[in-house]
Amino acid sequence: MNKDAQQLQPLKVGLVGNPNSGKSTVFNQLTGLRQKTGNFPGVTVEIKEGSFTLPKGRRVSLVDFPGAYSLYPTSSDEKVLAEVLTHTTDPHFPDVLVYIADVTHLEKHLLLFTQILDLQIPAILALNMIDLAAAEGIKITVQPLAAKLGVPVVLVNGRTGENIAQLSAVIEQMESISPVLTKPFYKFSDDETSVSDAIKHNFGISNAYRALLLAHHKDWLPFLNSAEKAILGTITETKQFQSLRAQVEETLSRFDRFTPIVQEAIQHPPVFPTTTTDRIDAVLTHRVAGPFIFVGVMMLVFSCIFYGYEITGGWVEGLMGWLIEKAEAAVAPLQIAWLTDFITKGILEGLKGVLVFVPQVALLSFLIAMLEESGYLTRVVFMFDKMMRRFGMNGRSIVALIGGGACAVPAIKGTRTIGNWKERIITIMVTPFISCSARIPVYMVLIPIALPRAGWWIWAQVFGAMYVLGVVTALASGWVLNKILKTREASFLTLQMPVYRVPHWKNVWLTVMDKVKSFVAGVWKPILIITSALWFLSSFGPGDIAEKAKNSASMDITAGVRTDADRGDLEASYKLEYSWAGKVGKFIEPAIRPLGYDWKIGIGILSSFLAREVFNSTMYVIYSLESVGKKEESAAGDEKPFERYATLKDRMMNDRFRDTDQRIYTTATGLSLLVFYALAMQCMSTLVVVKQETGRWRWAILQFLVMGIMAYLFAWVTFLVAS
Amino acid sequence: MQRRYRTLPELKAHESAQAVSFTDPELACKLTAMGVLPGAMIEMVRKAPFGDAFYVKVDGVRLALRTEEAEQILLTV
Ligand SMILES: Nc1nc2c(ncn2[C@@H]2O[C@H](COP(=O)(O)OP(=O)(O)OP(=O)(O)O)[C@@H](O)[C@H]2O)c(=O)[nH]1
Repeated sequence: MNKDAQQLQPLKVGLVGNPNSGKSTVFNQLTGLRQKTGNFPGVTVEIKEGSFTLPKGRRVSLVDFPGAYSLYPTSSDEKVLAEVLTHTTDPHFPDVLVYIADVTHLEKHLLLFTQILDLQIPAILALNMIDLAAAEGIKITVQPLAAKLGVPVVLVNGRTGENIAQLSAVIEQMESISPVLTKPFYKFSDDETSVSDAIKHNFGISNAYRALLLAHHKDWLPFLNSAEKAILGTITETKQFQSLRAQVEETLSRFDRFTPIVQEAIQHPPVFPTTTTDRIDAVLTHRVAGPFIFVGVMMLVFSCIFYGYEITGGWVEGLMGWLIEKAEAAVAPLQIAWLTDFITKGILEGLKGVLVFVPQVALLSFLIAMLEESGYLTRVVFMFDKMMRRFGMNGRSIVALIGGGACAVPAIKGTRTIGNWKERIITIMVTPFISCSARIPVYMVLIPIALPRAGWWIWAQVFGAMYVLGVVTALASGWVLNKILKTREASFLTLQMPVYRVPHWKNVWLTVMDKVKSFVAGVWKPILIITSALWFLSSFGPGDIAEKAKNSASMDITAGVRTDADRGDLEASYKLEYSWAGKVGKFIEPAIRPLGYDWKIGIGILSSFLAREVFNSTMYVIYSLESVGKKEESAAGDEKPFERYATLKDRMMNDRFRDTDQRIYTTATGLSLLVFYALAMQCMSTLVVVKQETGRWRWAILQFLVMGIMAYLFAWVTFLVAS
Repeated sequence: MQRRYRTLPELKAHESAQAVSFTDPELACKLTAMGVLPGAMIEMVRKAPFGDAFYVKVDGVRLALRTEEAEQILLTV
């Protein structure tokens, strides 16, 4: 590559550091909104990439590597760093590394840094959290660090952005500085030297430490081919190289060497005082009070999600009504009826399916980001680790299950922090059991139908019970999966609990933006496919269904069953009945009759694959209430949620089976349908995300089948018991 | 010379002892990387609400450990 081309290439800078050193905060300071979350190929570990410009104009592409303690990884998150840094031709291999260290615990934070020094990658040491250091009375002298480690040292404050500009300036100078350390930081033992020499010789590697890392990681490094693995195997065997022991020895020796350097640079007050964090933890992680406080916090989170849905649901309805009007006006002059219909009932309906969840996802990621940033979530992991492990998961799974209360899609994406394969799979498999917000409107229609004479107080209780049902089935399925799935991978808790902090707004805001973006990116395709398919199925049928519907509606009106005012709604209803969707509904009726359902519910279930709440709008159409439905559905936000769908409820409750003339909606049918909606996997977007996150359709299909069978069986039993 | 060690779960709340060694090599790797080294003073803070996990403090760093992990940490008597 010539010099000019090199100038055009952005400088690749990597941010590394221990977990909780403030890496992401510094990343956000440097890049702002110019960032995106991606995946490392092959593994489902998230990386954030961003870009910014150095003072003299050079572009930088910045990668935020997952936090790691060492180049000897114990989780898939940590593995990413070891993989990239041992593979000089990796596309993420950095030109310069910026190492973020928490200056208040510098004596613990330099292990990885000294390993990076030995890889001879140009590095800058950024000491973060200088505000906390000042508050704790810690004195910092930079000079010994810079001299003994041979790197530029910058003091920064990730929160305020203090000295971030200086950090950029130093990054700019890095290209003209050559590495200062001439001798490796860590002195190899004789065994290590001979292993490393052999690998250097065989693989043509110049850096001794990189060669040694290949020996340590030969079993899992993905870029090694089997021939290379065999050579490494022979070398380590003939030299009787004991990887684990060597790792511990090396770590201890590095600590021995850098501890005096840190002591020279950092003056701690003599004792660690009891801090605010200790006092907060005495309450929040208390053996008795802790779990109760957690339940309280969760109830708060769910109230927010519930009322958030009530309020924003109305907004989205309003917005969509306006959009549909505009769209109709725009395409009407073309005089193509099916096109107008496809745009308003197909595309825009799908758009609504996405939009309804955007505020939910935003609100939930906001709340979780707050809990995460404050440090509380790590305590939750600590408190509930034991309980969750009984069900085949670990403490971190709690976060996913909470997230499932809004929408399973972002919740399942969030399981990437779970290191153990089996625990992660189980968490992914059971999260959709948790009642997501798409089920809320369905429950609101069905609960009063199931228990028409009970008041809103009982209805609210049943509503709560639906959530309990979701949690119980999720845990029970976890328990069963735990017995079935096998893994030899060790599972660790060993977790550092950060000090409590007021959440940093910039971090929270950027997290929310990122989650919303990745949610929309993940669901728009499956939703578009499903809406188009559903639109097709319900708009066409054998023969001219529009004509047939017109005739049937006219017959009803001449017979005096309905008035002329209902004509439009009646036609829509008949059209749906005669369409392919209606045919499918009737075709599956014998299969769902044992649960107490008729073909209309069959169509409802079918249309729920877009998103469960579509059940309601389908019911409005079927019961020839399309025009009423628009009004009732957009009444979200009023104070009587259970009475919102009153017209629909009355119409549904008066409906009878054609053959037996018995009421369709008895208490038994209502309850059975509630159970069905609580347990069935009816969400295409979730299935797609499960496929993405597990890498295989296998898990998504299994989940669909198992949840479907469970829903069917439990709904059937409910129906039998209740009738 | 006879020596006896305790393991971490034997500590009472707010009791401290010095770490001597770690019996499981994989855990030793993880703990040393976090800066929990032989010779460090470990203070038991409390047990988790449902048992089976411990909240400890080492040199001002707070750690959560499972029982089977804590049992691998040998302490002075
Ligand atoms: N007081 C103070 N807090 C900071 C500073 N930098 C970061 N923080 C806070 O430290 C916490 C951890 O920061 P993150 O940026 O999430 O840390 P990280 O290293 O990316 O952590 P992982 O994502 O776990 O790898 C957050 O609550 C930040 O708000 C700082 O300079 N001063």
